[in-house]
Amino acid sequence: MTPPDAAAVHTEMAAFDAELARAESPRDAQSIRDRYLGRKHSVVASWMQAVASAAPDEKRAIGRLANELKHALEGRWARFLEAAEQATRPAGALDATLPGRMPPLGHRHPLTVVRDRMEEIFTRMGFTIVEGPEAEDEWHCFDALNMPPEHPARDMQDTLYLASPIGAGAWASDPSGPDGAEGDDARTLLRTHTSSIQIRYMKTHEPPIRIVAPGRVYRRDDLDLTHSPMFTQVEGLAVGERMSLADLKGTLLAFARAMFSPAARVRFRPSFFPYTEPSAEIDISCWRCEGRGCAMCKQTGWVEVGGSGMVHPAVFEAVGYDAERYTGFAFGIGIERVAILRYQIDDIRLFFENDVRFLEQFPY
Amino acid sequence: MRLLVSWLRDFVDVTASPREMAGRLELCGFEVASIEAHGGQDAVIDLEVTANRPDCLSVIGLAREVATAYDLPLALPSAEPGARIALNPAPVGESSRVTVTVEDDELCPRYAAVVAEVRNDRSPSWIAERLDAVGIRPISAIVDLTNYVLIELGHPTHAFDLARLGGPEIRVRRARAGEMVTTLDGIERRLDPDMLVIADRDRAQAVAGVMGARASEVSSATRTVVFESACFKPASVRRTSKRLGLKTEASARFERGADINAPLLALARIVALMEQAGIGQPLGPLVDRYPSPRQPLPLHLRRQRLAQLLGAPVDDAVVERVLSRLGLMPAASADGWDVVAPTCRVDLLREVDLIEEVGRHYGFDRIEPTFPVVPAPVPPPDVRVPRDRLLRRILTAAGLSEAVTFSFLETDAAQAFVAAAEGDGLVAIANPLSAKFEALRSSLLPGLVDAVAHNRRHGRRDVGLFEIGARFTAGGETRGVAVAWTGAAAPEHWSGGSREVDFFDVKGVVERLSGALDVPLRFEAVRKPFLTPGRAASVLVAEGPLKGAVAGVLGQVVPAVLDARGLPRQDAVLVAELDLDRVWQARGPGAPDVLDDAVATRPLPRHPFVVRDLSIVVADALPAEVIRGTIQAAGRGGPAPLVAISVFDRYHGKGVPDGRVSLSVRLTFQAPDRTLTDADVQESVDAIVATVVREHGAVQR
Repeated sequence: MTPPDAAAVHTEMAAFDAELARAESPRDAQSIRDRYLGRKHSVVASWMQAVASAAPDEKRAIGRLANELKHALEGRWARFLEAAEQATRPAGALDATLPGRMPPLGHRHPLTVVRDRMEEIFTRMGFTIVEGPEAEDEWHCFDALNMPPEHPARDMQDTLYLASPIGAGAWASDPSGPDGAEGDDARTLLRTHTSSIQIRYMKTHEPPIRIVAPGRVYRRDDLDLTHSPMFTQVEGLAVGERMSLADLKGTLLAFARAMFSPAARVRFRPSFFPYTEPSAEIDISCWRCEGRGCAMCKQTGWVEVGGSGMVHPAVFEAVGYDAERYTGFAFGIGIERVAILRYQIDDIRLFFENDVRFLEQFPY
Repeated sequence: MRLLVSWLRDFVDVTASPREMAGRLELCGFEVASIEAHGGQDAVIDLEVTANRPDCLSVIGLAREVATAYDLPLALPSAEPGARIALNPAPVGESSRVTVTVEDDELCPRYAAVVAEVRNDRSPSWIAERLDAVGIRPISAIVDLTNYVLIELGHPTHAFDLARLGGPEIRVRRARAGEMVTTLDGIERRLDPDMLVIADRDRAQAVAGVMGARASEVSSATRTVVFESACFKPASVRRTSKRLGLKTEASARFERGADINAPLLALARIVALMEQAGIGQPLGPLVDRYPSPRQPLPLHLRRQRLAQLLGAPVDDAVVERVLSRLGLMPAASADGWDVVAPTCRVDLLREVDLIEEVGRHYGFDRIEPTFPVVPAPVPPPDVRVPRDRLLRRILTAAGLSEAVTFSFLETDAAQAFVAAAEGDGLVAIANPLSAKFEALRSSLLPGLVDAVAHNRRHGRRDVGLFEIGARFTAGGETRGVAVAWTGAAAPEHWSGGSREVDFFDVKGVVERLSGALDVPLRFEAVRKPFLTPGRAASVLVAEGPLKGAVAGVLGQVVPAVLDARGLPRQDAVLVAELDLDRVWQARGPGAPDVLDDAVATRPLPRHPFVVRDLSIVVADALPAEVIRGTIQAAGRGGPAPLVAISVFDRYHGKGVPDGRVSLSVRLTFQAPDRTLTDADVQESVDAIVATVVREHGAVQR
């Protein structure tokens, strides 16, 4: 510290000016001010302390010098602020804190967000994406899938039928379109699963094949918190000469890790679907509680996401594949189900209300 | 199926706790709905049994699964003295008390009956308590007896009061057209000849496999009963139960398939229990009508196929243990095992069914995941996938958010928009659950307008939505893309300048789609009942093989429709819908793939362009498209090539007579090979002016 004398007042003032001149931001300047003018540990504060500890006869002189320095620095600080203000706000300056004009950008529907993601994951695994009609005939939706008329399984998924058959529409020119194999009394229905697309694909392609079929499906259900007469599925199918249940498990494990959590595990619970044998429910280890038990997994540590199994030989026979030579696996995963789990949605109806406040919460 | 654990322990000495056992059953394919403590040590496990396993709608069936899971012996019902589940098979013969005739052995392949002398008061407590525990109300000794055997062995039986049968005889026949029967639930039902009944000499006394009739119901006065134990064709029981709207414990089992050998087993068990409980004893022999005996199905399981399908080798010892415990009697052969499927396992029909059995009990959990080899490059996806993604990109970039609305709707909601689809009426749903879902949409617009209304009701004034989805008409299913837009064209900003969405915002979106799909579209004024006259246009294909075909519609919704859909009448709601399939088709064969980036670029011009602005006054009613066409044609002949025309102002008012409009058009001239001279440009402009003056009576300003 420079001892308080007249020369020191000028030295400190010059040093203060010089430092302020080098300040790069208002923040810098403020810290310089504090070092000279702050209430503690500053130049002025130390001069004031010097007054207190000075001999009684010197007190008056040093006090005067200290005050002189204080006022001089304060004056310089005020001028500095004014100059800084001038520098940053020239005439006509904008208020940079006002909101900008954002270009418009709408949101994809959450069911599309999930669908796109699933398509991307399965494409990486060698699956191609195929589509098919929503208004379907009974043969493609049931008979070819090992559900002959009177099969009790036709009851499991109660079906919406059309009052009268309709034309093939845009699917007419599709080589996999209806082929009359279903007979004259066939009714048109709203497909209950996208497995009907797999039948169409197998009828027009030879193995090896690997496809996923996304799309809307329909059931004769009332609309409530957990049910909807319309929902969306992605069904997968792989057929080759040595496809196994282990391959199915590996494929779904890769999907679960890409979709839910890198640490996900897959559990198969035996089940029954007419078009697969063996059949299994797909459980994924709960990624929210990591298996410890939470509300999402109902304290079980596992979350069910869909059904799967090895393609039933009767399905291969229906499409003209050699059921001895080829084996295959199939799976079906509900897009709403995945979205509900991923986004913590508690009411399936939100997907179909199209409330913009809901839609805007999803990524672009 | 509610399983009482102590009842299960009659069959298998399993020491595991109910919770542990439930967990094991779950991993064998039986979903556990609940586990309830029952009394001190006992519990009831509520299990979901899949449709292929009617044998497990019984204690014995689930006991066989538990015995297999824990590798324990299963105690089978037996006539041996001291058997844990006692049988008392009566000798088979003809009864002197009742005659039994099966007229239709296709619908009833086996029918067995035994007459018994009984006292029908209350059941002993051990029967009543077990029934109560599994959710069946005890009624009387005889009814409880049939229910006990139903739960224990899974086979439905029925008791007729012999004194109340006309004849006394039993006749298994089809119902007569219009035949009436009052079933045990007190409801009078009309039957038809597709249905099978159990009749006496005169009339139906039961709907076969579904429910008995009031007329021969047992009561406390009953002294002699006929116990029926039969098999009925699953499809027939299912159809009958569905048509009568009557689902029972019996029909649920018969429609999934009953064990052809269960009828005698069930009767032998009834007789044994009847004697044990002091309810009565049989009178005379047991009648068994079984004209075409069925043989158990021999099956073969190959070791190599099993390992290949599961993707895991399973030890022979495990395979043999599982198959034996399931009662399949495996015999080793060169490449695997010969087995015999027991008749109670109606689901075991081929090798793959055996593989599932082994897999289930080996444990799907023990199969290590593998990743299948990718055999070939992935073929491109269905073209609709990248096309629809492109459309979504464009529409979201326009500020519209994607909606997903129901494919069906109320006829009322749709009716106003019917004309949105050309010509065709609505396609009705044959079996809708409610009026809200009674017809299929022929247009995406009703759903989108309702979605706008929903948002408007929740305080949102600016709403822009689009949807891509299927529409249905008698002609078939097509895919469309539609837009509904209301409120401000851009979000409110402090700098001001807010503007309401109008016709040309929506038209611009359609034009953008047309450009993206590389299909030129034209717009033509049209009248549609749901669109405001003067603010409605038809969208037509402008070029190519489908030139002139209608590809969509565009306009402002009329107040009456807004009103009907719960929107304020004064709102401006602009809509557009395109038939995507039609537009896609309009590209014609050999069209460049717009989803690909394989475009051939044009070299950038090397010579400067010249711009001339032209203001002309023409008739207000003259479509801009016509003037544009005229200018284009006139520009073609001149020395300076006309490369662009844009209308940059349209003015009514001072200085322009009524019925006329001033148009300002910017003309851009450019030649690929030279710099244009003023003279060239002037000559071209003069030619254009002369043509619009001549053809449209235009006046240059």
